[in-house]
Amino acid sequence: MSSGATQIVGTSRAVGGAPRRRSPRGGEKLTPYLFLSPALLLFLTFVVAPLFGAIALSFTDWNLLGSKRFIGLDNFTRLAEDGDLHKALGNTLIFTFWSIVLHVVVGLGMALAVNRQMWRVTRYFLRTAFFFPFLVSWAAVALIWQYALDPNFGIATFYGDKVGIPGLADGWLLNKTYALPALILVDLWHTIGFAFVVFLAGLQAIPGHLYEASEVDGAGPVRRFWHVTLPMLSPTIFFIVVISFIGAFQIFEPMYIMTRGGPDGATSSVVQYLYETGFRNYEVGYAASIGLLVFVAVLAATLVQFLLRRRWVFEG
Amino acid sequence: MLAAGMSRRSLLRSGAIAAAGLTSASLLAACGSDDSSGSGGDGGGGGAELSFVYMGTAEQQKSWNDLFAEFGRTNRTIKLEATGVPVDNWAAFFDKVNTQIAGGVKYDIVQIATEGRELFASANLLEPLDDFIGRDRRELDELLADVDPNLIKWNTESGSPDGRTYYLPGDFNTMCLWLNTDVVRRAGAEVPTDDWTWDDFYQLGRQVKDRTGAFLYPATAEYFIGVMPWLTTNGASTMSADWRTATCDTPEAIEAAEFARKLVQDRLSPAPGGSFDRFTLTIQGRMAAFGGGRWPILQVRSLRAVDKFELLAWPHNKAERGSPVGWAGYPIFKTSENKEDAWTFVKFLVSEEGETYFAKGGGTIVPARRSVAESPAFLDDSPRGTEKLYEALQYATPIPSPPRNNIIQREIEDIWGQILTGNTSAEDGMKKMQDEISANL
Repeated sequence: MSSGATQIVGTSRAVGGAPRRRSPRGGEKLTPYLFLSPALLLFLTFVVAPLFGAIALSFTDWNLLGSKRFIGLDNFTRLAEDGDLHKALGNTLIFTFWSIVLHVVVGLGMALAVNRQMWRVTRYFLRTAFFFPFLVSWAAVALIWQYALDPNFGIATFYGDKVGIPGLADGWLLNKTYALPALILVDLWHTIGFAFVVFLAGLQAIPGHLYEASEVDGAGPVRRFWHVTLPMLSPTIFFIVVISFIGAFQIFEPMYIMTRGGPDGATSSVVQYLYETGFRNYEVGYAASIGLLVFVAVLAATLVQFLLRRRWVFEG
Repeated sequence: MLAAGMSRRSLLRSGAIAAAGLTSASLLAACGSDDSSGSGGDGGGGGAELSFVYMGTAEQQKSWNDLFAEFGRTNRTIKLEATGVPVDNWAAFFDKVNTQIAGGVKYDIVQIATEGRELFASANLLEPLDDFIGRDRRELDELLADVDPNLIKWNTESGSPDGRTYYLPGDFNTMCLWLNTDVVRRAGAEVPTDDWTWDDFYQLGRQVKDRTGAFLYPATAEYFIGVMPWLTTNGASTMSADWRTATCDTPEAIEAAEFARKLVQDRLSPAPGGSFDRFTLTIQGRMAAFGGGRWPILQVRSLRAVDKFELLAWPHNKAERGSPVGWAGYPIFKTSENKEDAWTFVKFLVSEEGETYFAKGGGTIVPARRSVAESPAFLDDSPRGTEKLYEALQYATPIPSPPRNNIIQREIEDIWGQILTGNTSAEDGMKKMQDEISANL
């Protein structure tokens, strides 16, 4: 490795003084690819190849146990007619919207609360406490919250009833009105730590002299927030919006573990529906076409976000 | 550390792009890991090792392992590789096994409950057993003479779509009520008899609630445990006897759903959907009864509460008696290269020796052989009335399980849950159930 580098550094200069690079020899051309090859091989084997397999599957009718039958575009036609899928898509969009809003607002609020002068131990404690749920597996989170939301002895049911939330006698998760909001809040509790840490890092990277200058100009805390913090934080907000969107649009675990998409489909998400279709109903071809739909939706939404980025993200 | 020339902002942007690409791709990949022609896998087969996959939660493993050890002692030339799938319901078991089979894993024998019999038999995966049965007629005649004729009849009707035999009648479960007699006596009531009615049941619940504060019974939306007992004791079911027509919107079915809802509404049952453990709650005396087959025996024994319980036939309304029944089968796969050894193991599972050993070791299924079900191996260290689980074969209804049962069962449980919580009325719910089942038959 060092010989090649030395040769490039020590190469003779052309007449104009610009460095002239020697074309790498055959063996040297291969070197970067050899370094990349383990990761590339894994990526091709476990992501790219199955992805093309899924595309091929989406044109078939296959029940896992029998043989596959080519059915052309039938699965894609069915996407347009499947009321349960549309319901799952609607739930997913509601979940995604609230997930993005709450992650940005609550995550930023928590980061602002911690990003100030305080006793070091308190700061460490708050950082750890806010981030800790993010480290807990979804299975454990679901169990904890199933207890909290239990209709008979759940703490959330008890206090929800005390503050006058109507209709809680039968609990949260079997109630069509409360089941999805409950899952949105459980997801927020579980993942807000990530948004909090990213926002905190973003806040700490804002140069202090900008605040000093704005103070000199007479800006109060609110104006400083609107005219310094938010613009400087806009790339971080953009990152959180994109990541939250991708995560929320593919939400699966709480629906699968806590509600199975019920009651009456009130909490079904599109990925949970995909799973049920493929591995419960054994309609693997149709499930693959739902996977393609999600792929296209996530890709399209992400591209739109990137196009709109120029209008509100400060790139200075 | 950031790469040269890469700002924090561009890193965030790149991160978002990479995440979008990778997560979407991996989602698609989840559907695409397909190799139907795959061979091998970790299931064995194709050698001297006999592979068997069965449903066994962690607490059931010991009795299975003892049974396999016993088989090994008497069949030293056959090496058995048994895989227990630790799930607690058949739908999850089939999800797992079907996915493994689709992925190329080969098993010689699989444990299949009623819920999967049609699916497997119609998928052309199983080896017909008729030749083996013809050859070992005498041995099997002895088995059939010891098994309740109803079980033999149901086994033939539901597991032989093309007239050939794929399953021997295996062990089963019916539903009875496990009654904590301490709670009943504390409430000042008499332990009911087996001909008790829904009204008797309700009145007992009122008395227990008023005098002890305990619940009567945990209403649940589970198909076998919570739905079918109420339907069958009112002369109803989810489907016709041939499983070809939905029958959920009959007045009897609606009445059954209304009664189950009433138990919740009047707080004789805890609100469904909770995380409470029905066995512990009943053993602690905070509930009078729960429904079950043989499987609660492990918890009841481990908490040393056998003497507290008595099993009673399910209370009835319009039918004289009622219970669902589901039974296991142990078919051999067509792809098995050890069919002779597999047949030896299947015969062992239904032999008097095998069933006795399993029952003695704490098996959570009722033996198919009457002689074993009525023997001390099964009845010792069990609550009074345990023999009623076998007697229920006289009046039980096979749990309706058409090929698309996975979808149907989910719909039934979701809708019954909504009826129990009052999200929908019994009439509307059962009509919806009728439509959903009809659409999937």
